[in-house]
Amino acid sequence: MLRFILQKLGMALPTLLLISLMVFALIRLIPGDPALLMLGDMADPQSLADMRRNLGLDHSLVTQFLIWFKAVLSGDLGFSISTREAVLPLILERFTVSAGIVLVAVLLATLIAVPVGLLAAWKQNSALDLGLVMSATLLLSIPSFWLGLLLLYAFGIKLGWLPVVGYVSFGQDPWQALSYLVLPIVTLTLVEVGAITRMARASTIEVLRLEYIAHARAKGLSESAVLWRHALRNAFAPTWTLVGLILGNLLGGIAVLETVFTLPGIGRLMVDAIFARDYPVLQGCLLLITFVYVLVNLFVDLLYPLFDPRVKL
Amino acid sequence: MSPKPSCAPLAAPAAAPRKAPRAWPPANALIGATLLMALILLALLGLLWTPFDPLRIDLLSRLQAPSAVHWLGTDEFGRDVFSRLLIGARTSLWISLLAVSCAVCAGTVIGMLAGYLRGWTDRLLMMFNDALLAFPGILMALGIMAIIGASQYGIVLALGIAYTPSVVRVVRGSVLSLRELEFIEASRVIGNSELYTMFRHIAPNCLAPLCVLATSMFGWALLSESALSFLGLGVPPPAATWGNMLASSRPYIASASWLGIFPGLFICLALLAINLFGDALRDRLDPRMRK
Amino acid sequence: MHRFRNPSLARSLRVIGLAALGTLAQQAMADTTLRVGLGADIRSTEPGVNRDENTDTVILHVVEGLVAHREDASVGPLLASAVDVSDDGLSYRFTLRDGVHFHNGATLSSAEVKWTWERYLDPQTQWRCLPEFDGRGGAKITAITTPDPRTVVFTLDQPNALFLASMSRPDCGGAGILHPDSLAADGSWKAPVGTGPFSFAEWKPGQYVRLARFKDYSARAEAGPDGFTGNKQALVDNLRFMIIPDPSSAKAALLSNNVDLLPDVTASDAQELKALPGIRVSVSPIMAICGLLFQTNDPLLKDVRIRQAIAHSLDYGQMVTALSNGLSQPNNSAIPQTSAFYDEVAKQGYRYDPDEARRLLKEAGYSGQPIRMIVNKRYQQMFDMGVLSQAMAQASGLNIQMETLEWGTQLERYQSGNYQMMSFSYSSRLDPALGFDSLMGDKSKEPRKVWDNPQAQALLREAIRERDSGKRQVLFDQMHKMMIEDTPMVIIYNGTVIGALRDSTRGYHSWPVAKPRLWGVSLATQ
Repeated sequence: MLRFILQKLGMALPTLLLISLMVFALIRLIPGDPALLMLGDMADPQSLADMRRNLGLDHSLVTQFLIWFKAVLSGDLGFSISTREAVLPLILERFTVSAGIVLVAVLLATLIAVPVGLLAAWKQNSALDLGLVMSATLLLSIPSFWLGLLLLYAFGIKLGWLPVVGYVSFGQDPWQALSYLVLPIVTLTLVEVGAITRMARASTIEVLRLEYIAHARAKGLSESAVLWRHALRNAFAPTWTLVGLILGNLLGGIAVLETVFTLPGIGRLMVDAIFARDYPVLQGCLLLITFVYVLVNLFVDLLYPLFDPRVKL
Repeated sequence: MSPKPSCAPLAAPAAAPRKAPRAWPPANALIGATLLMALILLALLGLLWTPFDPLRIDLLSRLQAPSAVHWLGTDEFGRDVFSRLLIGARTSLWISLLAVSCAVCAGTVIGMLAGYLRGWTDRLLMMFNDALLAFPGILMALGIMAIIGASQYGIVLALGIAYTPSVVRVVRGSVLSLRELEFIEASRVIGNSELYTMFRHIAPNCLAPLCVLATSMFGWALLSESALSFLGLGVPPPAATWGNMLASSRPYIASASWLGIFPGLFICLALLAINLFGDALRDRLDPRMRK
Repeated sequence: MHRFRNPSLARSLRVIGLAALGTLAQQAMADTTLRVGLGADIRSTEPGVNRDENTDTVILHVVEGLVAHREDASVGPLLASAVDVSDDGLSYRFTLRDGVHFHNGATLSSAEVKWTWERYLDPQTQWRCLPEFDGRGGAKITAITTPDPRTVVFTLDQPNALFLASMSRPDCGGAGILHPDSLAADGSWKAPVGTGPFSFAEWKPGQYVRLARFKDYSARAEAGPDGFTGNKQALVDNLRFMIIPDPSSAKAALLSNNVDLLPDVTASDAQELKALPGIRVSVSPIMAICGLLFQTNDPLLKDVRIRQAIAHSLDYGQMVTALSNGLSQPNNSAIPQTSAFYDEVAKQGYRYDPDEARRLLKEAGYSGQPIRMIVNKRYQQMFDMGVLSQAMAQASGLNIQMETLEWGTQLERYQSGNYQMMSFSYSSRLDPALGFDSLMGDKSKEPRKVWDNPQAQALLREAIRERDSGKRQVLFDQMHKMMIEDTPMVIIYNGTVIGALRDSTRGYHSWPVAKPRLWGVSLATQ
């Protein structure tokens, strides 16, 4: 087990190195200059040169990379170009915001979607099944930001029940935090419910065709016992993989929702960093996201045998 | 919208009817196909005819609600929304199609190379591929758009690159499982070149999972196009796509809701069609179904 | 969405909403907080160093300089009670006001002024306005002396008509006077300890900046605020600048009473907001220079007739009405409409005349060659200006193609002069000489400069030295005429700033310098 974990983590190291190189190269290919963006239309050549020197942008690219990489190895991700904040605490703070929303939403979505998928599979090809599949597909088909906007408009502006901008962390004031987070979480949950329901239905149908289910049925177990005791557990395995993938992908893809709901999350931070050419922040964010992606996948792999006893690590 | 995980449709086998195959295609496939045809016809119609010039600015009739003249109203520059939707159908569908084709072509070649040659080539390619996979797709597209500049073909390239790793994964997986099969071995034994074997025998057998992946990628591409527009780096106006129409309708959500409702609805319908169609395709192509 | 029909869920949502509002209401009772939306986070809390527009806005509530802009953009005393300029224009004597306190309780004296200025003039500080004072851009400060605790004397090496105007520039942080406590023991920046009506309280990056009312603020004797000076008494206990990057979210926040004031909304939003109950807007022309830049070295556009044809093809009245929803007037001059130097001469701009445009194009042998115009989506107003220009120019037979770039990329193209045409906007320069200076220069040395005309350049140098406004007027008029003649760019208008506020917000108005001022603003109890 431990060996497996270490092996997986060891394999992640070259990926992380490669990512940091790619990120470094990619972002510097973007035309534009952070110093120029900071000075704007008032930039004169002298102050531009001064600013570049202060930001360490006057070194060659290779030197810049080596300086950055050496610092990263000692746990120092540098300072933001725009705000001169230390990158590590900055991205960790933003990451917690996004991670909280994503985790809660995916958990809720799983709790809703798995029973629904099971039900649809059980009633396969009935009108109920068709209805559920169509609803799930429809949910999957709505652009998340549009759904978010509509909800924001309905509950924030028309009804005025929920605040439309701002953020309070859960530790500060749970009730207020909830009022800010309800809409983004609901939006994300609705969209993911679509994806997970479809997966849960498909894998349940697959499992229901297997022999041991027929066996269980033949033993005279009630249909619900078959479904809950035997099918659910086995059908959950592929769904669990999907949940892991969603978790990993969402952290990068949540930028759009964070824009709609004005949340200080890591997605928004990255998009802003691209626009401001804030190299250190973007490098730090992507490194963290990739690392988390690797960790989530590892976690999913580790828990997989729980759901599918046929798999041993 | 983040791309939905690539192996989703493959990790879990298809929904298979427990009963004997029915004579009629399932209802969802019918709905999907009909919708899809309707949208393609709409896009073709947009090529031939629009009620107004979709780019013509008319400052005297800005933000008009739907009426007999402008069926779906006008936008903030007085352009006809219906005409723009028709033109946008073509652009949006075309962009998604091209992006998916790019990803499929590039991904198939890389995936087959990796899967067939194995060894160091495979390890290197897959390391690179895994790194790309771990990279948030929408941010990658955003970065590429920023580098090459926002244009129709920029977005095709950006999305194409962002989706390639998923294709590589799927193709390589299929190749790995296929190459040990007897008929591949046979092809090699009778003296066919590696290259011939690969394209003659292995490639066609990757087709089923690829088709399924391609349909879902088409959906992601449509969604990503609108998300990129929303983040400020989509297909640049004045060209119309559903995505940039939806994104630029944002300030008017309260005062001129028709600006957002219609493009949003069309994106939903297109995705619904694609997803349903993809389901049906998967049911047809899944090898386990044919047993 | 159908899930929300579930009545119990809806009820609990409502309870959550009410709870949130309840908390806010309680806070409002105990402590008045004015919530102001900002489009982007601030960069730092240090005046004039790592800054942008929003940073200036926040920081100018905390620090004050010796002088500052008045409502009409002229310069008046702020921390000084009087400014005496010697006849040769080389010596400025500032008399400080009595009883001014820093946020840490210390009393303002000439020592802090000298300390602050010596820090600004130290290249290590990286003050962005250093070039204006060390001889690179204007006159050099040769000495700062403090004859007594109430007096500071600045000595220059040559006369400079812009000395006081540069000192009060918002982007220089108004050269705000700081207490040495603003620095940590190691000399690094800590937080601003100034003399402003608000003191710095808290900055949550990405979320908000909070300022607190300074209870010992000593206001000037004037009846009310006057630009950045006058009586700047704070009337609320807290000032919370909320960072809302998305304009639509900001609008939603105002509608749903999550913010009290948005200092800068688009013209079309203003149109919509104005009509709603409980919301007011406050409009003011500003001093930005918005228009279309030409690359005069371009093979096609180096022909002045083509540039003039473009200028004649634009219906300025209709375009500006659309851009500002009828709130602004066209202005083809680099002298802003609100400037005291904007006279009858400056009003003579381009004539909208499609026939003339077509005639010029024919004469120049133009036959529909594409002209690429760079626009961006970051600044809606620049984008709209591009879209409208393209459509109008098309009617005269011009084939302008829009190229939408990301703002950072456009800025680089601007800086390197690598473009044919672009829709651009220069931020407010409060003196016409500064406005002209941003457009003019030697392209071979500074490729970003739009207008390269040595003759006009000589006039500009004269206008910077000259202190007599009658003579400066003559110089500016001459330069304006030459610019219309050369058409290196088409200036279209000066832009507007529109603040949108809830009815409960009292005493706020927009002004030509555009930056919001929140002293003298109060909240009516609802």
